[in-house]
Amino acid sequence: MIRMNRRALLGASLGALAMPALPRTTMAAGSMSAAVYPGGWDEALRGVLAPALKRAHDVDVAFEPLFAVDQIAKARAARGVAPFDVFVLDPGPRVQGIDLNLFESFDPSRLANRAKLPEGYADRHGAGVAAQVVGIAYNPKKLPKPAGWRDLFKPEYASRLGLTGFGTTFGTVSLIEMAKVWGGSETDVEPLFTELRKILPQVAAVAQPAAIPGLFQQGQIDVMYTNTYTVSLLKSRGVVIEFALPETGGVAFGTTMHIAKGAKNIEQSYQYIDTMIATDVQSALSQAPYFFVPVNTEVTPGAEVPMRSIADLSKFVTHDWSKINPLRPRWIDRFNREMAK
Amino acid sequence: MEPKGAWRLALPLALAQVLFFLAPLLILAATSLATDENLSAVSGQAWAEVLGDSFNLGAAWNTLRLGAMTVLATTVLAVPLALLHLAAGPGLKKLILLAAVLPLLTSVVVRTFAWIAILGREGVINNALIATGLATAPVPLLQTEHGLILALTQIEMPLMLLPLIAAMARIDPVLLDASAALGASLLRTLRRVVLPIALPGLLAGATLVFASAATAFISQSVIGGGRLAYLPYLVWQQAMVVFNWPLAAALALTLMASVLAVVTALSALGRKVAHV
Repeated sequence: MIRMNRRALLGASLGALAMPALPRTTMAAGSMSAAVYPGGWDEALRGVLAPALKRAHDVDVAFEPLFAVDQIAKARAARGVAPFDVFVLDPGPRVQGIDLNLFESFDPSRLANRAKLPEGYADRHGAGVAAQVVGIAYNPKKLPKPAGWRDLFKPEYASRLGLTGFGTTFGTVSLIEMAKVWGGSETDVEPLFTELRKILPQVAAVAQPAAIPGLFQQGQIDVMYTNTYTVSLLKSRGVVIEFALPETGGVAFGTTMHIAKGAKNIEQSYQYIDTMIATDVQSALSQAPYFFVPVNTEVTPGAEVPMRSIADLSKFVTHDWSKINPLRPRWIDRFNREMAK
Repeated sequence: MEPKGAWRLALPLALAQVLFFLAPLLILAATSLATDENLSAVSGQAWAEVLGDSFNLGAAWNTLRLGAMTVLATTVLAVPLALLHLAAGPGLKKLILLAAVLPLLTSVVVRTFAWIAILGREGVINNALIATGLATAPVPLLQTEHGLILALTQIEMPLMLLPLIAAMARIDPVLLDASAALGASLLRTLRRVVLPIALPGLLAGATLVFASAATAFISQSVIGGGRLAYLPYLVWQQAMVVFNWPLAAALALTLMASVLAVVTALSALGRKVAHV
């Protein structure tokens, strides 16, 4: 049983790498297409949102599993032809999408459930549909609970640490938070590189983000930075893993949905986003095994989520992606070079 | 003598090649010489970044070396197997052939992930080493170049073994008998009779293994990890994460040109050998 689950998990994380190659098409009328993050999100939206959308609006949705950066890359490569109707994005790619004019102008008043979202969660670009909390995940059988980011640089943690670079939102915010404990800031990660250089020979693995959960599950690494979704997903597959909020505060950011510029199914896209924030969908998504952080004010987060309501989000560390995005290409390149043997 | 107008039969394929291969390649070349993906202005910046930067050139060198090492490892393992196939009876022949083809029936993705379970800290090899007392602590295998070469050797093995077996199947058993009757030792027969006939198959296998191992994006990134820099990953990163399309295009063309150069050299060698 566990072996089967391991394989499914490995398949899911690697499938994520191979997914952009698979063509998807939209079907007949009353249908639309939406991008979805591979892995836990893909499972959750297929399992909960798609049937709810069918029930409420008789709309079929075809999902296209793509990471946020891949969605932007695909839309950019399509040069004005919408590759799917709805984006689902983290803050960094969201700002890029706005800058590149990849979204239709969004009218929050077309969402029947608009009033259930906190103030500021729907604007002329799109609507917030979930939040992500990023912190430290560790194997409690191998390591004591880490107090914060600084602990990752101690020999006992560094030798079990899986590092991943600035290629993803969770990677970028985690590395920024580490830079901060060593005297850096949101725009200065130099102190981080100095500290990383010291521990690099001991570090258990430096890997692509999609490979990190598989390495944890195989015992190659016992501590990593990640979001609560990955922890819930691994836990549900029988992996010994716990989530720790760093003493300097957990990092949180919103996940937003946007209608692609030139999308053919505008009406269905609004229905899709509206169904996503509906109370029944948000409460189903907030429970096991998904443990989404709900944005709907009527829904209480599930047991595995380290916040009691969306209002708690203000207590978490957030970042200004309009400042980060221009610096990120240089950080990515720098990370490649610093890590190279 | 070909019938008149036979070239027309090749037109659909030629058209498809121009449309779907040559045209994108030209766009790629144009992108590598531009300032951005909209080809707004001409610039040699991307090429300067590739050719004037030791990190990028180092990644190109690593990529070619990885291909060469995989060719070497598959050759060392495939030649004895092919010889065994040559000498074997019909039953064993079938078994060897089945073993050679079997890995092709699972996807590269699955084979790559299986290698994580084998090479990992708590993987099959390390568990065996510790259980037998050959090692006291886990030996690093995953995320090392030799671990990656080991995995690629298994993954690319059929591409070497099958052409080699096919080439050796052409050896007339009479030749081996004649060589022995004329007093040649087994080793001499191997060197003077078997290897020259098998060489075109070996070169074909080397070409396939080299091209496949040097461009094995998934195996390189998953087993090699973030500390080994190879061109396919850098191309992906520049295109999909950083959005620096000119640099991605220049890196992609560098990969293509360097792999093509080695493959061309190998096939030229193959033609030369065939004419001897």
